[in-house]
Amino acid sequence: MAANYWESTQRKHWLFTKDELAAMRAKLEAEDPNLVASFPLPQLRHLNIYFNQRSSPTHFDSSLEINRIGKRLTLRQQALATAQVYIKRFYTKVEIRRTNPHHVLVTAVYLACKMEECPQHIRVLANEARTFWPTDFQSQTEVARIGECEFYLISEMNSHLIVHSPYRTLTSLQGELGLAQEDVNLAWSVINDHYMTDLPLLYPPHVIALTAILLALVLRQDHSGRLPGTAASNSGLAAASAALAQAQAAQARAAMMAGGGQMVPGLPQQSSSSGLQAMLPPQSPAGEAPAEGTKNPRMAKVHRFAAWLSDSNIDIEAMVDCTQELISFYECHEQYNDKITREQINRFVKARGLDK
Amino acid sequence: MYNRARNQKAETSYRGYQRNNAGPLNYQTKVRITDRYKVIGFISSGTYGRVYKATGRQGQTGEFAIKKFKPDKEGEAVVNYTGISQSAVREMALCSELRNHANVIRLIEIILEDKCIFMVFEYAEHDLLQIIHHHTQTPRHPIAPGTIKSIMYQLLQGVQYLHTNWVLHRDLKPANIMVTSSGEVKIGDLGLARIFKQPMHSLYMGDKVVVTIWYRAPELLLGSKHYTTAIDLWAVGCIFAELLSLRPIFKGEEAKMDSKKTVPFQKHQMQKIVDVMGLPTRDRWPLLASMPEYNQLSTLQPPLLSTPSHSNSSHHPYGSHRSQQQQQASAHQNPHGNLQKWYHQTTVSTPLTSLGAEGYRLLASLLEYDPEKRLTAADALVHPFFTSPTSTPLSSLNPNGSVSSHHPSQSQQGGSGAAAVNWSPTNCFEGLKNESYPCRRVSQDDNDIGFGTSNGNNNSGSRVNTAAAGTGTGLVMGQSQSQVAALGGSLGVGGGVGGQTQQMGGQGGMGGQGGMGQMGGGGGMAVAGMKRMQDAVGGQQQNPNKRMKGAQGQG
Repeated sequence: MAANYWESTQRKHWLFTKDELAAMRAKLEAEDPNLVASFPLPQLRHLNIYFNQRSSPTHFDSSLEINRIGKRLTLRQQALATAQVYIKRFYTKVEIRRTNPHHVLVTAVYLACKMEECPQHIRVLANEARTFWPTDFQSQTEVARIGECEFYLISEMNSHLIVHSPYRTLTSLQGELGLAQEDVNLAWSVINDHYMTDLPLLYPPHVIALTAILLALVLRQDHSGRLPGTAASNSGLAAASAALAQAQAAQARAAMMAGGGQMVPGLPQQSSSSGLQAMLPPQSPAGEAPAEGTKNPRMAKVHRFAAWLSDSNIDIEAMVDCTQELISFYECHEQYNDKITREQINRFVKARGLDK
Repeated sequence: MYNRARNQKAETSYRGYQRNNAGPLNYQTKVRITDRYKVIGFISSGTYGRVYKATGRQGQTGEFAIKKFKPDKEGEAVVNYTGISQSAVREMALCSELRNHANVIRLIEIILEDKCIFMVFEYAEHDLLQIIHHHTQTPRHPIAPGTIKSIMYQLLQGVQYLHTNWVLHRDLKPANIMVTSSGEVKIGDLGLARIFKQPMHSLYMGDKVVVTIWYRAPELLLGSKHYTTAIDLWAVGCIFAELLSLRPIFKGEEAKMDSKKTVPFQKHQMQKIVDVMGLPTRDRWPLLASMPEYNQLSTLQPPLLSTPSHSNSSHHPYGSHRSQQQQQASAHQNPHGNLQKWYHQTTVSTPLTSLGAEGYRLLASLLEYDPEKRLTAADALVHPFFTSPTSTPLSSLNPNGSVSSHHPSQSQQGGSGAAAVNWSPTNCFEGLKNESYPCRRVSQDDNDIGFGTSNGNNNSGSRVNTAAAGTGTGLVMGQSQSQVAALGGSLGVGGGVGGQTQQMGGQGGMGGQGGMGQMGGGGGMAVAGMKRMQDAVGGQQQNPNKRMKGAQGQG
């Protein structure tokens, strides 16, 4: 988005370590332990699933229909993604039980649409919201609620409204990495899913995009398996980790070589890329990839991607962690219970009069 | 300068309603604008709201310009509150990111209080409109060449910063270019600015009309929908010309939108450009014929002096009857029409001659018809106009204005007046002795920055300007209108930040089908795919031939 990522408020103010995030959240809960104790909530990722689903209700539009919209789809997904980041940022600053999450959700979507240049009229959104939560959005006050909540959101986010998303990295690398449309689609949905985790607050968008690409390539390796989630996750993790470990090792060796070349003047000078070439198995230079690919084109793609990564200065450890977070999210998704989540949110909203 | 703000992030503070315990939202009172700042006067107003001059009450050093966005249109009740306008959202977001350049006005903080937004900026004593106006006062006298050079250099630095950050300003004009009392040039008013990196849809869809008409690039006038950073450089060229001649170079009259809300072809404005630049040709602008309003060019008059071959011809170079001969004839014309003549007349017998042929070439390269050939900000900054220690006399240009083979040293030997202009890249007032620019006028009529909906206490001068600025609802305010108002009433009162352009649909409403229902969901969860996956893959590697270094910035 605007401004380059490296100078962005996102990088400077909205990326945290896991410990920092945990500390911020603990601090919020510690402000009113009774409140937290009286209104238990599902784990954060389940709340995120709830927000994610509510902001894209399936009964309104089947995903097939959304895909047909084509160009407009990407625009709207961008806005939805931005909205989810707003919600995450906001709830690192404000205890969720002090807010009406439905107001926050609708307001985040309203604000994100303006920011992503696809503005929706406040009344259209309010009407939409009322069909989902009739008690939270009453026709006399709903617009005022959203308007007020907008100030609240902007304020807590320090007016840092520009969000860099991984979608852009994905599309810009499609050609360079030789990704098929199916790969891109799958990586795209992995990115959609990552908004239900803490990853947008933990890692830069390009790391997330590359992780999504890796997972997409690995996921499409084999179409026959119908394993339960855990086994699938384990093998996916193994596959992804193997590719990453390979890339990481190559990266490290290239770095060593480059360093060594400088320190020992007698050694023949090698660029890091030729150094890597020397390390690679002789049967797989890039030029011959198609030949090998006839056997297993998917495998070739993963290899090619791993090689590309190893020649980058991408933080591969971050990618390992992203992979684990995503796999563990997919496991945790199995346990998601929409009814309980909804009831627990409604309980504190009602009890504290937050729906007025 | 507010030293704390220099190195720290701008804070945004919200002061909301103090609700009773029963209330649903427990907003915290953080900062009141009137606790932090003392308003010392009213500067200007526009469709967005008003700008005040202020000083800090809590130890902040320096002066500030506080831009107050009104919660609603004048006279409308709070009931119709429709959220923060899109242009305010843009400006808040962009100014928060773009805080790292001396030539873009710096945001100090944003205060949200009740339903008003206060954006606090560093204060700039002057703006280019005011400086130009000062030089038209008797005796009319040109702006010093070193000042012009410095202004242009700093302006281009700011534009380059915006463009490398993927931001189009879209409303560059003298009133939006601030100058501090220490001669620093600062681009202001990012209310129309937009991010252009891989736009998901044509930029055209959001705001149908952008850029005040006198500074509007020809591709916009010809209906181009996919415009680029080049539109800002055209505006920079227009500003350069205005600094030289003290008048807008292309002072057209804006055609108003008709009742059907279709955007009319701005014939008069295009004619003004053609009068100086000649008719654009497909030779010089290959994509010209693909412009939506291409056929409209045939309704324009060729400029008188540079196209003698056309003056008695019944055929016109545009439209279906265009002949091969005429095409060739136009290729032989001076490619810049009367611009060289314009430049010569403007600079001859004044100190501006010292800007030399380089000045002309920079101007011509900025006012290049083809947006793809137009100079970029980065290229302009290394133009000989800035880099060459001496300038070559205008007479070194060959008759058709194209690049001369003349070497600077040769012309020096020719004795025809090579000159050096002293200028500073950071202070446009450096070396000025006999020039003192008046301070921005600050009115005491309305010092009430208070929030709320009724501004019943604004009257007299400030009111006039508000009324003028308010008539452009729904489409871009003509600069002809707002700038005249600024010169008449408001430049009196500042004018600098006034004359705001309002874009279509700016008040948050593109009418909207869909709502939240349609967003997202596409592709669904990847869980299903996850389940299908089986064996781990060994991580053999292939030959790397790609590097990540470039790709990292693409977040």
